[in-house]
Amino acid sequence: MKLELANLGCGYGQRSVVKDVSLTVNEGEVICLLGANGCGKTTLIKTVLGLLKPREGHILLDGINVKSWSCARIARVIGYIPQLHDPPFPFQVLDVVLMGRTAHIKPFSSPSRKDEQIARRCLEMLNISHLEDRVYTEISGGERQLVLIARALAQEPQILIMDEPTSSLDFGNQVKVLSHIQQLSRMNIAVLMSCHFPEHAFLYSTRVILLNEGRILYSGAPAEAITAERLKTLYGVEVDIVTVRNRMNQELQVCVPSRHLTAENEPPQTMERRNRYALACSSQ
Amino acid sequence: MHSNAEYTIDVKKPARPYYWKLISLLLILILIFILSFALGRYPVSPLELISVLAARFFSGIPVFWEATVETVVFQVRLPRILAAILVGAALATAGAAYQGMFKNPLVSPDILGASAGAGFGAALAIYFSLNMVGIQVMAFIGGLLAVSLTYGISLRIKHDSMLALVLSGVMIGSLFTACISMIKYIADPYDKLPAITFWLMGSLASITQRDVKMAIIPILLGMVLLFLLRWRLNVIAMGEEEAQVLGLNTKRLRTLVILCCTLMTAAAVSISGLIGWVGLVIPHLARMIVGPNYRVLLPASILLGGAYMLLVDDLARLLASMEIPLGILTALIGVPFFLYLLLNSRWGWK
Repeated sequence: MKLELANLGCGYGQRSVVKDVSLTVNEGEVICLLGANGCGKTTLIKTVLGLLKPREGHILLDGINVKSWSCARIARVIGYIPQLHDPPFPFQVLDVVLMGRTAHIKPFSSPSRKDEQIARRCLEMLNISHLEDRVYTEISGGERQLVLIARALAQEPQILIMDEPTSSLDFGNQVKVLSHIQQLSRMNIAVLMSCHFPEHAFLYSTRVILLNEGRILYSGAPAEAITAERLKTLYGVEVDIVTVRNRMNQELQVCVPSRHLTAENEPPQTMERRNRYALACSSQ
Repeated sequence: MHSNAEYTIDVKKPARPYYWKLISLLLILILIFILSFALGRYPVSPLELISVLAARFFSGIPVFWEATVETVVFQVRLPRILAAILVGAALATAGAAYQGMFKNPLVSPDILGASAGAGFGAALAIYFSLNMVGIQVMAFIGGLLAVSLTYGISLRIKHDSMLALVLSGVMIGSLFTACISMIKYIADPYDKLPAITFWLMGSLASITQRDVKMAIIPILLGMVLLFLLRWRLNVIAMGEEEAQVLGLNTKRLRTLVILCCTLMTAAAVSISGLIGWVGLVIPHLARMIVGPNYRVLLPASILLGGAYMLLVDDLARLLASMEIPLGILTALIGVPFFLYLLLNSRWGWK
């Protein structure tokens, strides 16, 4: 399934946030949306999901305008993985995953055994079957994010959309979640995600879209798109892009801030205080 | 990913152990139901009770009891027992559904102002000497008005949404309570005022078969609809946007749930008066027993609400030589229980 945005403009009420965005997401692609806070990533995602009405332009799925589609019809094609949050009630993990079946279940019925099987299958795909009977609010953040991915998979979507799926995860969980996402693209699911780290885009995406003040600055393969100059435009900081080799002798790109905080440019009072603190500690 | 044929591994697991819990709750309700026939000022022996009940269904049972027994069982106790079950189940179900829909475990028909609104409507109807249908319609309009106001105001408060809903509910509730006081103030002190006052305290003492017949339709209607929608309450409890993205038409569901809950509350209030705390406490108690999944929580709230109300009504009949108003008893039982929940909040929701 191909997702196409044609001259899309979006925003809240009278305020226009995103202007003239055109892009195509094809099967098997992993697309990273990069941009500073407030550049319109979330607004764009909300519009694609149907939560906001486009101010101008169209959203097309396989060439069909989704304007008049019901939210259930959209949900059968597009799955969404939100940022972590606390639900008000301590639902079981399996019940949370079953919610992914909403769009496939008739208005006045409950999930069937088949729906339960699909939910369990999705947990299994992410190797978290052991969490099935656990309480969603009591598992770790990384596990919860995986449960939300399983829930999106239970929707049986062809396109997955994520809004900073790793923003509240620790380093290890970020790596785990992102590599799971990469595997999904091998199942011919298209992935469109916003992210905070250019490095994640280097590692996991097939294409990068740089969003600056609501407009596309550049769209292309990660190595071409992410340059020191463009990152300066996007985030307003000097960055060096360094090529390193990992232990498998693969070349990787990393971004390092050019100016980082060292003892030299720290204000002197702080140094003084630090020395005093060190003295106080050693005399004890 | 798209065809079910790929799900080759058939992961079969036994059904989750909810059903025996629901069955136990049903058995408890039936037990209290039978017990309630025998309890009361006029003694009815178990043998008499069983024979009188059986005689309704089977002919040929020799009549050895006095005619009074039959009157007591069918004219006095049966309507009252049915009304207690209906009112308790209605308030508990409405409370449970409101909590899920507003994703707020602290709301109930009384806290949202629905009860006070329905009470105002009903008091107004009594003031204008309307009949039972009039009382119910007015109660429904009042309740709906109150909930809409509460919800509308809470949406405009930008801070803590959970607190905003509770606070605006409290405000709207006291507004309607003030309106009720106003009606009491201008009501005829010899005729209307005692009627309104006694009815407001919450009582099932003067219930008739006709009252039950009038209330059973709206309550069952709301209950059946909510029962069918119950799984979707799980989804909407995850939040408006998330539910929508999962494919739920949240506007339609919200409207339907508010209508059902308010209909049930209004029907309950119009036959029993204001009975507080049931809609808040019972869903929490049910959640402690069966967990937060509305698939089970809703039927559990129905059964538990009915059983609880019936038990409290039995206490109201038996504790003192004079009947104690139900609203007083439910508050005396409900408040300490809810305090316990708050202090051990792990039990309640988190």
